[in-house]
Amino acid sequence: MLARTAALRLATSASARTTVPRAVFAATQTRSTATTTKTTDAEAYSILVAQRKQRPISPHLTIYQPQLTWYMSSLNRITGVALAASVYLYGIGYVIAPYAGLHLESASLAAGMAALPIAAKIAIKSAIASPFVYHAFNGVRHLTWDTARELSIKGVYRTGYAVIALTTVGAGYLIFGV
Amino acid sequence: MSFIRPTLLRPVVAPRFVAAPRTAIAAFHATPKHNIMPAGPQVIDGTINDPAPVPEQNSKHGAYHWSFERLLSVGLIPLTIAPFAAGSVHPVLDATLGATLVLHSHIGFQACIADYFPMRNWPTLHKGSKILLNIGTAIVLYGLYEFETNDVGITEAVKRVWTA
Repeated sequence: MLARTAALRLATSASARTTVPRAVFAATQTRSTATTTKTTDAEAYSILVAQRKQRPISPHLTIYQPQLTWYMSSLNRITGVALAASVYLYGIGYVIAPYAGLHLESASLAAGMAALPIAAKIAIKSAIASPFVYHAFNGVRHLTWDTARELSIKGVYRTGYAVIALTTVGAGYLIFGV
Repeated sequence: MSFIRPTLLRPVVAPRFVAAPRTAIAAFHATPKHNIMPAGPQVIDGTINDPAPVPEQNSKHGAYHWSFERLLSVGLIPLTIAPFAAGSVHPVLDATLGATLVLHSHIGFQACIADYFPMRNWPTLHKGSKILLNIGTAIVLYGLYEFETNDVGITEAVKRVWTA
């Protein structure tokens, strides 16, 4: 009895909210609590829109198993945005430097770099070289895919590991070998 | 101390009122900790029976655009290797490297705007960031011109800073 009452209450509140016209067979059952409301097309549409805005949203990144594929893909965009943002910041900075009293000429930057301790130099070079080398090699990986090569699970992993190895070697060379 | 397993010691009489289970959908994406990229405002266009709109065909936004992206990307390979191989490059080649990098970045930023501020959910932000990007790219290209004419060029500048 309790469950039925609850179900009825649910149905009532739902119908009041949705105003879905329901077929009522008066001869077989009476449901005095159920009400129907006449709505215009515009009202019905606005109710529909309001309902569809309540629909559940797909879960995001956090529910997926960490895998090389999508981790490297994300890293490609993150490194790309970081590098491009650096280029833009420097480019805009170089334009406004004379008006803002900044010194961004190559001579000033080189002098500033020379004055830094070795640890800071390594940190700065790592922060620039690692994303640059990764994005460069992973870009070549993407271009390989664009020619319809290595487009298999095996190929994606093989090229992925190759990019990681090349990035380690290349960035290591740029940081410590140059 | 009882020899009966604890699982057998559950109450014999079930509670009369069982709390309704809370909706499970909120668990992941509503938790601030996991809310990496919150969903934007939900937008409904048309009714549920409308067909998906077919975008207007325009090869500038399709095949040519794709090819141009690849052209820039492929071109960056020799342009990036040349300074390493030769030690220094001609100013024109240096400027080409810079311009290609800026255009490559511009297209990359456009892709980010399309992905993260889609027109459907964020019309104002979408248009605004596109305008800002165009202004930014123009300023950066002007800065590149200034840098190439007044300074030592990208390749030489990177070399001097890197070996400082």
